[in-house]
Amino acid sequence: MGTTEALEQELKELIIDALALEDITPGEIDSEAALFVEGLGLDSIDALELAMALEERYEVKIGDDPEMNQRIFASVRNLAAFVEENRV
Amino acid sequence: MPPSSKRTAYKTRAAPVRIFGALDAGEQAGRLPVAFGAGAAFDRADLAQRVSALAAALADAGSGRWLLYTESSYAAAVSLLALARARGTAILAPNRQPETLRRLGAGVTGALLDAEIPCDAVRRLVPLAPRGGKATRDAGMELDRDAPLVELHSSGTTGARKGTVKTLRHLEDEISAHEAIFGALLPGDARIFATVPHQHIYGLLFRLLWPLASGRPFSTENLLHPQELLPRMAESPASALVSTPAHLRRVAAGTGLSSVRATCRAVFSSGSPLDAETAKRVAEQLGFAPHEILGSTETGGVAVRQRSAHGESWLPFPHVEIERSGPDGRLVVTSPCASEGESLGDGRRRYSMGDRIECSADGSFLLLGRADRIVKIGGKRLSLPDMERELEVHAWVDQAALVVFEHGSEPRVHGVIVPSAAGRAVLEAQERRTVGAALAERLAGHFDRVLLPRRWRFVNELPRDAQGKLPAAALRALFDDRVRDPIPVRETRTPNCIEQRLEVPDELAYLEGHFAGTPIVPGVVLLRWMRSAAAELLGEAPRVRAIEALKFPSVLRPGQRFDLRVELADDRTRLRFRAADAERTFASGRCLLGPPEDETP
Repeated sequence: MGTTEALEQELKELIIDALALEDITPGEIDSEAALFVEGLGLDSIDALELAMALEERYEVKIGDDPEMNQRIFASVRNLAAFVEENRV
Repeated sequence: MPPSSKRTAYKTRAAPVRIFGALDAGEQAGRLPVAFGAGAAFDRADLAQRVSALAAALADAGSGRWLLYTESSYAAAVSLLALARARGTAILAPNRQPETLRRLGAGVTGALLDAEIPCDAVRRLVPLAPRGGKATRDAGMELDRDAPLVELHSSGTTGARKGTVKTLRHLEDEISAHEAIFGALLPGDARIFATVPHQHIYGLLFRLLWPLASGRPFSTENLLHPQELLPRMAESPASALVSTPAHLRRVAAGTGLSSVRATCRAVFSSGSPLDAETAKRVAEQLGFAPHEILGSTETGGVAVRQRSAHGESWLPFPHVEIERSGPDGRLVVTSPCASEGESLGDGRRRYSMGDRIECSADGSFLLLGRADRIVKIGGKRLSLPDMERELEVHAWVDQAALVVFEHGSEPRVHGVIVPSAAGRAVLEAQERRTVGAALAERLAGHFDRVLLPRRWRFVNELPRDAQGKLPAAALRALFDDRVRDPIPVRETRTPNCIEQRLEVPDELAYLEGHFAGTPIVPGVVLLRWMRSAAAELLGEAPRVRAIEALKFPSVLRPGQRFDLRVELADDRTRLRFRAADAERTFASGRCLLGPPEDETP
């Protein structure tokens, strides 16, 4: 597994764990599928919880810019790219 | 803030009805029937003799507080009258689980229990056991009408929750009100049937004390199956039924209820709101809708609704004053029968209930739903009953119950669904998650996203208790992820033998710490699974008197499959069990069935 794939796998596990999602395994989350509203169907409360979990695990700061956040959280792939660029 | 308004609706005050009137057992009166059922009939002479003898036994033992649990309502009637006579107090257990009896039995003088109920209480009296002594007249023994006679406890509470105390005065004032409102509907020989236990306030008042005091014979048993209940009601000259919405839904399904149209004069419903559909079905078959009773253990009866008479309006009991109070518009009840709440110094108490109401000028009111069923999540407001109704409109849903609790930073809605036939078909074809997501999507048209249920459970029936209530704790328990049961693989059954092929789940809760690094299924867990299998075979929980020849030859590990075999001996007094696979045996032994050997008469 390349580092990006490994990171994507980690992020999928983090999402399931932090948001206590039921009945779904990391293998069932498509790296390019939408996370919010469609796809995984997450909502604004999930966004906050996920941001907190990411900050704790990878020490990345999720800012307040809604446009930027929409890009970051568009998919697991996007999220992995963001974390890789910005992690400490 | 405008002043809250006080209303009363029923104008007539009740003439007092006395419970001890049932003991007037002269020559003629002695033959009047008191109770019937299970092949027996009891008259006043019998009641008077038993009460007298039991009261003497209680007094000899020092009276005080007595744990009370009986299956027969007649046994309970004897016990309560005897305790009143002996100036004792009955602690009414909500169920007969060993843990409940142990908790409530702490510090009692003794226990009044049916013979077959196991209990560790110091002293034990069986209410209907034969006792010597003739009936003595009631004369001379002054009853203390304000002494605590009954202490009621709700089901399912853990920890020390104080019971709600009722005096003889509370109870008699309540049933006097019943007689004033409903008495004209029921002739003196109307037989009272019930599907609710007398161990809770509703059953205690409606199926035991009110019939007892008003001289109407009552059924000693709960007849839960319509096929048993309806023919017996049809045989009576006149009858009434004390029930709950869940049972009425069953009884009113089809046209079975019309078989008692000629004799049934009243149907009572309480415990939870009665749905309009069931009320309509009852009215179609009987000519009248049920009398729904709004009340609580703390307040006693508060109000009555009969849809066929007054539509959705509730009419307060004669002795009850109601107010609409606070920003929520909650119901506040002032009543001399309330045993909790602010004391007004004149025997009445003022108690705030969790229901929201709207008052009308004529003194009646409408129920708007429980205040605790309105929640806020992520700043958005949600009425849980509204969302439940939306779900129940869906073709896949028969019944829906929602519960809110946290498993992250914010509370989330959790959905418990009884699927319709269409829903069951979908669940067989698709995963739970997909079905839940589809239901949530349908709700998204009406509710904000953060309010949509996150987790779902699809069940065969909602976890209602004996009173017909749906406790939030029972709904929450369905989401308790800790696995306690084996995974069923296959099962074969004959009348005397059940064989289950089972798999030990990797995440079995009992493996935690047993033992670190080497998880092993504890022996007691295998015994628990054996008891479940035995319960399937017997149709009820096995009453195990003793276990013999118990062995655990090999250890059972997570992920392993094994066969559990439970066999019933021909004389039905013993079970043989064995848990094994092709190579090893994990548990084996014999259970002797029956009541415990150490019985004090």
